Amino acid sequence: MKSQALQELVKKIFSDEKIKSQFMTNPDSILSQFSLTEDERKAVLKTHARLGQMASDSVLLDTAIEPNIWWT
Amino acid sequence: MAILLRSEIETLLAPLSDNSGLYDLVKEPLSKVMQDLVAGAARDRAWFFLPLIICDVICGRCEHAIPTCAGIELLKAAAGVFDDIEDTDSAESLPSKYGIPLALNTANILLILAERAFTRLKKQGVDSDIVVNIIDTVNSYCVTACIGQHLDLSLASEEFTLEDVYLRVIAMKSASTVECACYSGALLAEANQELIKSFTIFGHNLGMASQIANDIKGIRHLSDIKKHKITLPTIYALAQTDGETHRLLEAVFCKRPYGFLPTPDRIRDLLFSTGAIQYATIKMELYKQQALNTLFELERAGVKVDQLKQFLQ
Repeated sequence: MKSQALQELVKKIFSDEKIKSQFMTNPDSILSQFSLTEDERKAVLKTHARLGQMASDSVLLDTAIEPNIWWT
Repeated sequence: MAILLRSEIETLLAPLSDNSGLYDLVKEPLSKVMQDLVAGAARDRAWFFLPLIICDVICGRCEHAIPTCAGIELLKAAAGVFDDIEDTDSAESLPSKYGIPLALNTANILLILAERAFTRLKKQGVDSDIVVNIIDTVNSYCVTACIGQHLDLSLASEEFTLEDVYLRVIAMKSASTVECACYSGALLAEANQELIKSFTIFGHNLGMASQIANDIKGIRHLSDIKKHKITLPTIYALAQTDGETHRLLEAVFCKRPYGFLPTPDRIRDLLFSTGAIQYATIKMELYKQQALNTLFELERAGVKVDQLKQFLQ
């Protein structure tokens, strides 16, 4: 299902340096401004804890996604 | 179990062994799984054992499910060859190396061998009604996957840039095969309808997470950018950008007119900078979380699901 609040959250973080820096230091303070489901909140925090803000040369990203590509 | 599954596949391929050319062709799309079975990769992430593991966690035995694993592997191999014929984008694929007629024949043989695999469930002592039910279930999921593939090939890029449409298509063409494996495992364990439904939901979420991981890899390693393929990260970026960035992404992925296009790695950097990869990664984690929720529910119902948690770690 499409996640409107999730899209808005990610857009906000990536388009506003102040929000981004606040999210990096205190993610909960930003997450509380969006009506995310509990599962969406967990997914955001898990991604943030493991990968932070990703760049295209992120080796961590490969490590995180590769184990999930086991069926396709 | 790895030895038993390997032996089951070898038995199914045996009638072809007199014709070494055909035998080698049929084995090629199966080579990865056969290597993994020999190498014992199954110990780490036993994805080809999904029907077995589900059968085992429900009823405590699973050897009778081996032909189902073999059948699903053969179907996946056939689908892979058909995909290669449709995509014609890899020099290493069967149609590129041997031509479309031989590749088509190989895919057809793999389909027939898969059907034979399911009928071999009877030899394992599985009740005829369940065998028929398994064959009917697998065929029904195959129809769903083909409809998903049809939509993937035929939808205009404007329709495909809607996230709901995209998620529906990957649910049909990709996640349905994982659902099928989970459903079949539960059916062979003679589980009740409620358990079957829970394992089907688990399979759906697992399959969605796997496809989105593949989408991220396609951007990270540039392959989907070079192929102008629209996937979840691109859909996010197209929806959330405007101005020059949006026009550039439309030019690359929707083939709209534009001047000089930047290199694929520049497009990749652009997608990262919009948060598209972050968004897709969160969505992947979301599907994994939903799969985990189902496992917790099953645990509360008394099913020991530890073996399945490895797929989410």
